[in-house]
Amino acid sequence: MAKARSAPDLYLITATLLILTIGVIMVYSASAVLAFREHGDSFYYLKRQGLFAVLGVVAMFFTMNVDYWIWKKYAKIGLLVCFALLLIVLVPGIGDVRGGARSWLGIGSFGIQPSEFMKMGMIIYLSKLLSEKQSGITEFTKGLLPPLALMGLAFGLIMLQPDLGTGAVLCGASLLIIFTAGARLKHLGLLGLVGLAGFVGLIIAAPYRLKRITAFLDPWSDPLGAGYQIIQSLYAIGPGGLVGLGLGMSRQKYSYLPEPQTDFIFSIVSEELGFIGAATVLLLFLLLIWRGMRAAVTAPDTFGSLLAVGITGMIAVQVIINIGVVIGMFPVTGITLPLVSAGGSSLTLILASLGILLNISRYSR
Amino acid sequence: MRVSNVTVRRRLFFILLAGTLLFAGLLVRLAYVQLWKGKQLAAEAEDNWRRQITVMPKRGEIWDRNGTKLTYNISTPTVMAVPAQVEDAKAVAERLAAVLDMPADDIYKLLKKSASSVYIKPAGRKITQEKAQQIREMNLPGIIVTEDNKRFYPYGSLAAHVLGFTGIDNQGLMGVEATYDKQMTGVKGYISYLSQANGDKMPGSTSQFAKPLDGLNLQLTIDYHLQSVVERELQQAMIKYQAEHAIAIMMDPNNGEVLAMAGYPTFEPSHFRDYPVETYNRDLPIWMTYEPGSTFKIITLAAALNEKKVDLKNEFFHDPGAIEVGGARLRCWKRGGHGSESFLEVVENSCNPGFVVLGQRLGKETLFDYINRFGFGKKTGIDLGGEENGILFKPSRVGPVELATTAFGQGVSVTPIQQVAAVSAAINGGRLFQPHVGKALINPDNGEVVQRMEPKLVRDNVISADTSKQVREALESVVAQGTGKNAFIDGYRVGGKTGTAQKVIGGRYSPTEHIVSFIGFAPADNPRIVVYAAVDNPQGLQFGGLIAAPLVKNIMAESLRYLKVEPSKKQLPREYTYGDTTPQIVEVPNLIGATIEDILEDMNDNFLLAKSGTGNTVVNQVPKPGTRVEKGSTIRVYLADTSQ
Repeated sequence: MAKARSAPDLYLITATLLILTIGVIMVYSASAVLAFREHGDSFYYLKRQGLFAVLGVVAMFFTMNVDYWIWKKYAKIGLLVCFALLLIVLVPGIGDVRGGARSWLGIGSFGIQPSEFMKMGMIIYLSKLLSEKQSGITEFTKGLLPPLALMGLAFGLIMLQPDLGTGAVLCGASLLIIFTAGARLKHLGLLGLVGLAGFVGLIIAAPYRLKRITAFLDPWSDPLGAGYQIIQSLYAIGPGGLVGLGLGMSRQKYSYLPEPQTDFIFSIVSEELGFIGAATVLLLFLLLIWRGMRAAVTAPDTFGSLLAVGITGMIAVQVIINIGVVIGMFPVTGITLPLVSAGGSSLTLILASLGILLNISRYSR
Repeated sequence: MRVSNVTVRRRLFFILLAGTLLFAGLLVRLAYVQLWKGKQLAAEAEDNWRRQITVMPKRGEIWDRNGTKLTYNISTPTVMAVPAQVEDAKAVAERLAAVLDMPADDIYKLLKKSASSVYIKPAGRKITQEKAQQIREMNLPGIIVTEDNKRFYPYGSLAAHVLGFTGIDNQGLMGVEATYDKQMTGVKGYISYLSQANGDKMPGSTSQFAKPLDGLNLQLTIDYHLQSVVERELQQAMIKYQAEHAIAIMMDPNNGEVLAMAGYPTFEPSHFRDYPVETYNRDLPIWMTYEPGSTFKIITLAAALNEKKVDLKNEFFHDPGAIEVGGARLRCWKRGGHGSESFLEVVENSCNPGFVVLGQRLGKETLFDYINRFGFGKKTGIDLGGEENGILFKPSRVGPVELATTAFGQGVSVTPIQQVAAVSAAINGGRLFQPHVGKALINPDNGEVVQRMEPKLVRDNVISADTSKQVREALESVVAQGTGKNAFIDGYRVGGKTGTAQKVIGGRYSPTEHIVSFIGFAPADNPRIVVYAAVDNPQGLQFGGLIAAPLVKNIMAESLRYLKVEPSKKQLPREYTYGDTTPQIVEVPNLIGATIEDILEDMNDNFLLAKSGTGNTVVNQVPKPGTRVEKGSTIRVYLADTSQ
C-alpha cells in the first residue's frame, strides 16, 4: 500500500512545537515555587518536562516517519495489552494512587498511566475496526454495538480508578471516530437519549451530584468547598487582563491555585501572559486541530481518516474540557492541557500520537 | 448500506465546524473574564491575598491628680490561631482545651472560622505564663502565643468604683473606664501584606503599616493619698460597726473636683467577677438613695437665712420635746425637748421642732424651690455611670406634715453625691458645681493636655454669699458647741452636721436599720474640702456622734495636714461640759423611752453603750439616770418594742 510521501504538514509541526515550548516555559514558571517547597529544587518540574519533551519530540519524529498502516497490525495486540494494564493498575499494591485515583504504574516519579495508553490503543483499534467493516456501521447490533461495547468497557475500567477526565476524552475521541465512520444519526440520537436517561438516573439517586456539577455556575456559593478551585482560577485569570502580569509574576501560584503546573496551568498562562498570551495558545491549538482535520479529510484511506480524526479529536476534547474548566464554563474535571501541562509519559505519548498524525498528513491527496 | 466517502467528509466538516465554534466560545469567555470582569476579579483577588494583622493600641492609663498611676497596662500572653495553617483542627482543639479549660468544641469552631486570624476566646485571652509556655511547647502549626494588654492595678482595690474595670477586649465597662472609654481606647493600627495561601508574605510584595494610635491617659481629680486615707477609715468603720455599707466622699467645694470617693464593700477591678454583682455594679456614693436625716437641715437653714426668715442669735424658740403639725405630733430626738434656745442653738442641737418652724416660715413653695435649686431630685451629672435621681415629694402632695418632715430631712430621698454638691454650694458662697472625677486627657506621646475638664457651674447664687457665710458660721458652732463635737479638730476651723435616718425597706421605715452620717468642711472660714461619710446599719448601739463624726474627723485631720492647710488660731473654742481635770465626773442621762433614732441623733460623747434585748425603745437602763459616774463609762440599755 506504499504511496508517494510528501513533507509532513509544516503548520502542524510548527503549532505543536510552539505549544510545547510555551508549555515547558510555563511549567517552569508555574511550578518553581511548589518545586522548591516540595523538592528543594525550583527546576525540578522544568527538568522533568524538558526531558519528556525531548523524548516526545524524538518519538514524534520517529512515528512521523513510520507509515501509519503499521499500527493496524499492532492494533489488536495493543488493545489487549492496554486492557491488561488497566486491570493490573487497579490492583492495590501494584497501581499507585496519585491525586485520588489509582491510575499509575511504575516506580517513583517515572510511571505510566495505562489509561493514557488506552486512549491511543482504542483510537487505533476502532479506526482499524471501522475502516475494515465500515459498511456494517449502519447496523446497530453488528456494526455499532461492538465498538461501543469496547469503548464502554475501557471507560468502565478507567472509572474504577476513578479518572473521569481521561474517561471522557476516551469516549469523546471514540465517538468522533464512530460518528465519522458513518454511524446512523438515528442510532446515535437514541444512544444520546439512553446516556441522558442514565445521567438523570444517577442524579435522582444522589442529588448532591447535581450540586457538585452546578457548583461551577456560581462558585461563590461555596467558596471554600466545591467553588474553591474555580474561584482561585478566576482570581488568576481576571487580574491577568490584556497583557498579563509578566512572565514569572503570577501570584496565584503561591499555593492558592492547586496544581498550578498541571490541570490549572492555563490559569497561570492567562495570569502571566494576559489575554494576548492565552488567546495565542488557544489559537495555536485551533490551528493544530484544523490541520489535524485537514489531514483527516485528505487522508488516502478511511483508516487514515478515522485515525486522524481520533487523534485530533482526542487533543481537541482534552483542550476544550481543560480550558472550559479553567475559565469556569464546565464543572471541575481533573484533566491536563495537552502539550502544556507538566506530565511524564503522557507528554511523550501525545507527541508520538501527533507524529502519527503528521505521518498521515504526508499522504494527503 | 454502504457508507460513502461523501458522508465521511460531510461529517468531518461538521466536526471541524463544531470544534471551531467551541473554541470561539472559549475565546469569548476568556475575553469576558479577563477583559470585562478583569478589574473586579483583580480587586477581589487582592482582598484574597491581602492579610491584615491588627495592631492593638495601648489603652490610656489612669492617673490621680498628681500623676500617680492608678491603672496601667501590662502585657500578658494570649493565644491566637491562623485557621489556614492549622493542620488537624480536631486534635489541636482537644490539646488546647486540656490546657485552657475550655470546651474543645468551642475551640474547634474558632479554628474552623474563615478568618485570617482568630483569638481563642475567652479562655485563651490573658493567660498565665505557665499555660503560655505549655502551649508554646506543643509547637502546633497555626497556633501562636502573642502578647495582649491587660489592666494592672498597682493599688489593688483602691478607688475601684471610680476607676471601674474593663472587659476581655479591654473595653471600658464601669467607672471612668466606661465614661472615657472612647478617649482611652485609641485607634487600631494594622500591618497589611500580600500573602501566600499559607499566610507567608508573598515574595517581592510590599507591606503597609499603619501605626496604632494609643489611647489618651486620663488624669483624675482623685488624690491618691486622700483616697487611701478615706478608704482606710471606711475599712475600719466597716469592721468596727459590722456595717452593711460605708460611704465617703471628699470634694473641693469650690470647683466640684472629687478628691476621694469610695463605697464599701469594695472589690478588686483586676478580678471583679469574683465579687457579687451588686458590689462592683453599684457605685454607692452616687447610686444609693436614702433619707438624709439631719444633714438635710443645712438646706432648710440656708433657705431660711437667705429668705431672712430667722435671726439665729437674737431669736428664741421653746422646744417642749414635740410639735403638733396637721394633727400629727412630731417629736424631738431629745426626751423632754431642749427647752428655750436661740435659733443658733436649734441648729447646734439639731432640734427638730425648731426646724419645723423654719420650714413653716418658708412655706412649701419656697422650701421646695430651694431644694430643687440645690440640685436635689435629679442627677448631679457626675462623669460616672449608674447615678440615681433621688425622690422628692410631688409638690401637689406636700401638706403641712410633709413640709415639716422635709424641713428636718425625712420623706426625701437623696444620694450622697447630691448632698456633697448641695452642702458645697451652701458654704462656698452659693455656687452649685457639678461634681466630676475626670480632670484632663493627656496625650501619652508628648504629655500634652488634649482636653481639660473644666469645673462646671450648674447654678450661681443659689443663696447669697452673705447667707453662705452665716451657714458656715452656724455649722462651725455645731461642731464646736453642738451635736457635731466629735468632729472637732484642734487647730482647724471645722463646720459640719450629723444625720441619722431610718432606712426604708420594702416601702416602710425599718425599726432597726439606720444610716448614720456626717458632713463636714474645713476650714470653716474658707472651705477647702467637704467630707461626707455614712455608715449603713451599724451593729451594736452607740450614740450617733461616735460613729460618722469621728470618721469624718479622722479623714479631715489627716487631709488638712496633707493639703498643707494653715492651722487657724481663730477657731471657735470647743465647749467643754465640765472642767478639764481628770477624771471627769459626768451625770448619767435619762435614756428610758428613747428610741434608737434618738440615741443615734444624740451626740453625747461621754458614755459608751451596751445593749440588751431587741426592739426600738429603751425600757430600762443601768446605771439609773442622774447617777454620777466617770466619763467614758458604759451605760447598759434594755431594749424592747413598745407601741408609741
